[in-house]
Amino acid sequence: MNASLRRVRAIAHKEVLHMIRDARVVYLALGLPVIMLLLFGYGISMDVDHIPIAVVDHDHTRASRLLVEKLVAGESFVVAARADSAAETEPLLRRGDVMAVVVVPEHYQRDLARREPQPAQLLVDGSDGIVASIALGDAVGALQTVGPAPPPLLARFNPAMRSAYNFVPGVIAVILAMVSSLLTGLTIAREWERGSMEQLFATPVRRSEIILGKLIPYAALGMLQTLLIVTLGSWLFDVPIRGSLLLLFGASALFLCAMLGIGLTVSVITKSQLVSVQVALLVTMLPTTLLSGFMFPISNMPWVLRVIASVLPGRYYITALRGVFLKGNGIGVLAPDLLALAAFSVFVLAVGVVKFQRRLS
Amino acid sequence: MSAAIRVRGLERRFGDFVAVNDVSFEVGAGEIFGYLGANGAGKSTTIRMLCGLLAATAGAAEVAGVDVVHRPADVRRAIGYMSQRFSLYLDLTVDENLAFFGGAYGIFGARLRARREAVAAELDLGALGAELTGSLAGGVRQRLALACAILHEPRVVFLDEPTAGVDPEARRTFWRLIRRLARAGSTIFVTTHYMDEAEYCDRVGLMVDGRLAALDTPSGLKRELAPGRMFEVHGARAAEVAAALPGATVEPFGASLHVRPADTSADAATLREALARRGLAASVAETDVTLEDVFLRVVGRTP
Amino acid sequence: MSAIEATHLRRRFGERVAVRDVTLRVEAGEIYGLIGPDGAGKTTTLRMIADLLEPEAGEVRLDGALGYMPQQYSLYGDLSVAENLAFFREMYGLSRDAFRARRDRLLALTRLAAFRDRRAQALSGGMYKKLALACALLHEPKVLLLDEPTTGVDPVSRRELWDLLHEFLAEGMAIVIATPYMDEAARCHRAGMLDRGVLLVEGAPSELLAAFRHPVLAVRGDRDALEDLLAGDEDVLAYTPAGARLRIVVRDGRERDDVARLERAGARTEPAMASFEDVFLARMRDARSAP
Repeated sequence: MNASLRRVRAIAHKEVLHMIRDARVVYLALGLPVIMLLLFGYGISMDVDHIPIAVVDHDHTRASRLLVEKLVAGESFVVAARADSAAETEPLLRRGDVMAVVVVPEHYQRDLARREPQPAQLLVDGSDGIVASIALGDAVGALQTVGPAPPPLLARFNPAMRSAYNFVPGVIAVILAMVSSLLTGLTIAREWERGSMEQLFATPVRRSEIILGKLIPYAALGMLQTLLIVTLGSWLFDVPIRGSLLLLFGASALFLCAMLGIGLTVSVITKSQLVSVQVALLVTMLPTTLLSGFMFPISNMPWVLRVIASVLPGRYYITALRGVFLKGNGIGVLAPDLLALAAFSVFVLAVGVVKFQRRLS
Repeated sequence: MSAAIRVRGLERRFGDFVAVNDVSFEVGAGEIFGYLGANGAGKSTTIRMLCGLLAATAGAAEVAGVDVVHRPADVRRAIGYMSQRFSLYLDLTVDENLAFFGGAYGIFGARLRARREAVAAELDLGALGAELTGSLAGGVRQRLALACAILHEPRVVFLDEPTAGVDPEARRTFWRLIRRLARAGSTIFVTTHYMDEAEYCDRVGLMVDGRLAALDTPSGLKRELAPGRMFEVHGARAAEVAAALPGATVEPFGASLHVRPADTSADAATLREALARRGLAASVAETDVTLEDVFLRVVGRTP
Repeated sequence: MSAIEATHLRRRFGERVAVRDVTLRVEAGEIYGLIGPDGAGKTTTLRMIADLLEPEAGEVRLDGALGYMPQQYSLYGDLSVAENLAFFREMYGLSRDAFRARRDRLLALTRLAAFRDRRAQALSGGMYKKLALACALLHEPKVLLLDEPTTGVDPVSRRELWDLLHEFLAEGMAIVIATPYMDEAARCHRAGMLDRGVLLVEGAPSELLAAFRHPVLAVRGDRDALEDLLAGDEDVLAYTPAGARLRIVVRDGRERDDVARLERAGARTEPAMASFEDVFLARMRDARSAP
């Protein structure tokens, strides 16, 4: 085997030994994704069920009863109280005993038959915005099936608007970004701090070999994490994988290279573990969480942030992930995103190699 | 005068491993006591017990009148400790460091000022009060570290490899100051790897595998454990000399050899003759036996 | 051509000049001691020779492959002795047979064979340094640079390190060893005393001692009284304890007067040998007081 490859392999092998012998790395790399997934899945839920409502029925007819039944037919609402007037429900709303009030007007059935339907009223507690808007959406959906009305809008690709579909791709991205850059951020700086880098440079090894050798084990770990989250995500939360798995892992590999590259480059430049960790997290985790479209739509951001988002890999990766998971997009559609990821990786790794000073200053 | 340090049957176990095994010795007030030993021989463990930082598993130890085995916290007031790494704050000035350490020992206000002046005079730190510690030369920093360790006028001062890497001038100044302190009544307990530094001590103890293997004055140790004379031989090869002088230990020393003949009464002339009889025309001169030779003999790897 | 030729090396860091003008030549089979305290410029000089640091001025020429042992703990603590050696084998690209032979020999010489599976961080200080030396020697370099290999190491391990070095010297290796221990100059073929980036003096140990022009005496008597007497004596350049006696260095030419004075005070004197520390100190004082 050619000498250069031997050295890369030896560096990769040594890095694997370091990883295995430091239990914290393993816990961080494999434990954290599981924790985050469970937190997002079971702890933090964007699906709201069993919203307590009050019913004020001024009509007392079969039609009005049917209306209420339709509302509570899905799991969204539960009738917690009945009142004779809207005013009576005010204290209930205030106390939070109910989150919404349905008021069916007098003559509801009669007007419905005359094809001049008087709509029922829905009063929603707006103090909790998220719950309010979900309640509103659910109610509108339910109520619209009752009379002659345009068919309800279905959310395409995510008809039940399941939040899991949203967060699983996001969690993959954030985990990969965070763990990769953290671990690689440490590895080069640690060797400088300990003194082993100096010894290493007294041998024929080249900078590119060191970077490549260190990249490989962390890339493998990252792929393992991706596999873990994808498997757990689809098993625990029924997230579908409508596109090609190959594409999924391919995009992940590219994103990994980008994140690992950032970690390595920061480590090379700062030569300090402490600074590396802070900078790496700042430059990878925050943008991936906030500027990738994971939580907040990019199109809503001011143009400065939109520009920054377009330069960062997070956004392309989220697009690719959503494309593969939910839309079944193929390489034709995703090619530009993958190219962007590849370009970023190559750039950041090249910077790392160039900035890697062989000589001590 | 009562002993400043009294140790009897001191022991420290870590599970099955006995790090310090039945160590007994006494150090008188005003004595400079050297403690030698390989890393891992039990030196640091012993010192930590004497400083009250580690509990003993058996035995008794009294430092500056304090029963350190049963009341370790009380001994801190009576001892000073200067570590190799100098726990000084490089971004503080000399005065600020002194003030900090004074405060740590409960010395404030007028007493602090008085002690600071006294210590600065004793250790030649006079005019440097406002200097940043980080900008001081190694030798000066070392004196400052010592100053911080003696602000509270401890009866016993522990020095852990105090002169590592410092230039000879500073080293000698430092030892002059140490001797001054000792003459004023402080007891100095020092560990070192510099063999010539061990010569500065009144008595030296050697730790080997947890036991105190030897304890005496430097000359006493040499007489007892490395008797005979040491010669420097120039102009012959080690193998040839070893063959010409059966039983002698021969060690390469740069371009020459250090030879200790088996016959302790041999002198330079005798050796020269013995070599000449083998056709070796070498120069032979007597050289000093060092504590390193003692150390090696004690540890069992005799040269 | 010498095995190591470093001429007029110079290097500064910001304002501070670490190495001012250092020239040294070492032949194959020779061990050269670079002796000096912390901050003298030893590490900087070695790094320039090892091509880990670019000199501001000067030239370095090496005849053969280089082995380097830095001052810091430079191996991988969580890797075993065997794993560390295997790693450096790959860095140097050694063939299996060459590696096996060399490794076995080094493990035997360093007496680490029994510890091959022990993690480096679990080795004692002396053993760790021996391992670091073994890793630097794996590829059979012709030139070896050691930065303070014996610092903080107990005398037994120190002597073992020296024995190891002499093994390889006999094979024609050229070695430079940086050390703050003045007395280690005696173990070298030649030594250069470095202070503040400049070589104060250079030569074979015996030459250095012979060139020391101030007489040295061993004085026996009441040490405390003697110290007081000597502290005020201008002709006494230095005095240090040596066992039960005091070693004093007297200004050249003043010996007879001083001996007389001491004997009047009840002390007995006899000639003693100069030490390398005496040599260094004298030169250092001359250099620092020079305009």
